[in-house]
Amino acid sequence: MVDALKKLRLGARCGFVLVLILASSKLSGQEINVLYIGNTDVPVYFGARQGLLEANAQGEFMGVVYRLTAITEVGSASVIPVAIIAAVDAARLEQVIEVYPHVPILNTILKDTKLRENCDDALFHIPPSTAMLEDAERQWRQHAPKSKARAYTWHRTFRKYAAAQLNIRFMKQVGFAMDNDAWAGWAAMKLLADTIVRRPDLQGFGLVEELKTNLAFDGQKGIDMSFRETGQLRQPLLLIEQDKIVGEAPVRGVVNGADLDSLGLVFCAK
Amino acid sequence: MYMLKFKAIKVAVIVAVITATFSAFGANPPKRIFVTNEKDNSVSVIDGKTNIVIATIAIGNRPRGIGIAPDLSEVYVAISEDNVIAVFDPNTYEVLRKFESGQDPEAFAVHPNGNIYISNEDDAKTTVLNPENGSKIAEIKVGLEPEGVAVSADGTRVIVTSESTNMLHVIAVPEHKIINNILVGARPRAATFNRAGTIAYATSEISGEVKKVDLSSGTITGRMPLADDRAKPKDVLLNVDESKLFVAGGRANCIFVLDADTLEVQQSIPVGKRVWGLALSRDGSRLYTTDGASHQVSVIDTALSDVIATVPVGKFPWGLVLYE
Repeated sequence: MVDALKKLRLGARCGFVLVLILASSKLSGQEINVLYIGNTDVPVYFGARQGLLEANAQGEFMGVVYRLTAITEVGSASVIPVAIIAAVDAARLEQVIEVYPHVPILNTILKDTKLRENCDDALFHIPPSTAMLEDAERQWRQHAPKSKARAYTWHRTFRKYAAAQLNIRFMKQVGFAMDNDAWAGWAAMKLLADTIVRRPDLQGFGLVEELKTNLAFDGQKGIDMSFRETGQLRQPLLLIEQDKIVGEAPVRGVVNGADLDSLGLVFCAK
Repeated sequence: MYMLKFKAIKVAVIVAVITATFSAFGANPPKRIFVTNEKDNSVSVIDGKTNIVIATIAIGNRPRGIGIAPDLSEVYVAISEDNVIAVFDPNTYEVLRKFESGQDPEAFAVHPNGNIYISNEDDAKTTVLNPENGSKIAEIKVGLEPEGVAVSADGTRVIVTSESTNMLHVIAVPEHKIINNILVGARPRAATFNRAGTIAYATSEISGEVKKVDLSSGTITGRMPLADDRAKPKDVLLNVDESKLFVAGGRANCIFVLDADTLEVQQSIPVGKRVWGLALSRDGSRLYTTDGASHQVSVIDTALSDVIATVPVGKFPWGLVLYE
């Protein structure tokens, strides 16, 4: 009931007309449109395409087809998206939020901690914030004071959990290794599909709520990930020194290895 | 005072002896247990009566999945880094032949007709192999990173779990067509059927849960998150009367015992570290577990719900089969 009221309120705020258009677009078939906004000659886009392939590998069994439409200019899309994967700078991200106020938007390249502090309702952040990266490096230095390791989201030599399988699939597909940005693009598309396939009836804020409360996604990093109220994806990070993985954060022994909230900002300012 | 203590000890000893005798009398352990040691490139052979390793077979690089022919004439081992299935004689331990399995073989199941159903993790396929000559009988396209394989008792259904697509694929045999796809929790690792083939149970590693699936409707009828948040459940088995479910708890270092109907966790039996593999003796009296990071096999008396022996094997035991 509370949920329904919340949706009504949000619906009123965003305009019912658009919500209705979205609902009908979803009912017209099992085609799910995701919009990619950004350059298409960058790793994050290749990652998103890989995510699309994998989403459709799943969709094929469930009668769902995902389409990823790429545009470079905000507002030039001919489709009404269920979600948006954004690989744009902060100024253009603001425009995306304005044009699509009620559609889940997944930021895939910006690391600014400030963006997380803004706590925008429908904005999600796949890459770790600068604060998360710094916390990971600080934890690591407590464990290995002389190490100059830097924190990464992903690495081409990552094998544990099922990281090796994803690295192999990506390399086979595009001919170069998966990096931080490519992982973020892949993760954005894959976690969207993993959520939508379970609840294809949801859109707009319903989908936003589902992503925030019911994410079932491990990102091939061996742990159940979820979104913070800031929109940030909780995730473990890798410590890389001389192009080699030397550790993982949260750093076991320094903090509880499962405490993903030991990295970065956790709550929105009330 | 001393007398009382002495009497108490005496009673305790008698009770223990009676329990052990009763338990041993009722039990019919398998003749031998074969265990793949992932990081020792070997198979340990355990004597079922004494629970002692009596032989070690050099088998190939990174052995994982293991299965036995329905007539018990041969044992099959997936040799992950050699991309082959090795076949050995369960009586002489002689390696008889090897045949190609596709890239990085891991989990497989042996069908009552003798064929092998194997997951090809990197190719999103399940391949059906004839172990006599390694010929390919069929290939079935499944989801990403297929892993666990289970065959129904009557052989008409096979379930394959795809870890990155979060699904159970139900395959009809002999048609080799997928007849149902069921979404489950994140990273499903293993599944098992009830004897009638009407219900399946599956574990999901990342969501740390067990799901119960009605196979006639393809719907999930039960879900139980395992209390321990370290639990990364893997193998799952029903006991003989199908009233209980045994689940290997992974990093929870225990076997969870669930009510097969309600999925309520009734008990957890502590075993070694990172327990993955399970095998139950035909009479249901013994449950064997591979405790990967403890490099041992635990032997559980299912009547006592307790470990009665731990058997040191090679490094990182992965799977096991019983010869009985």
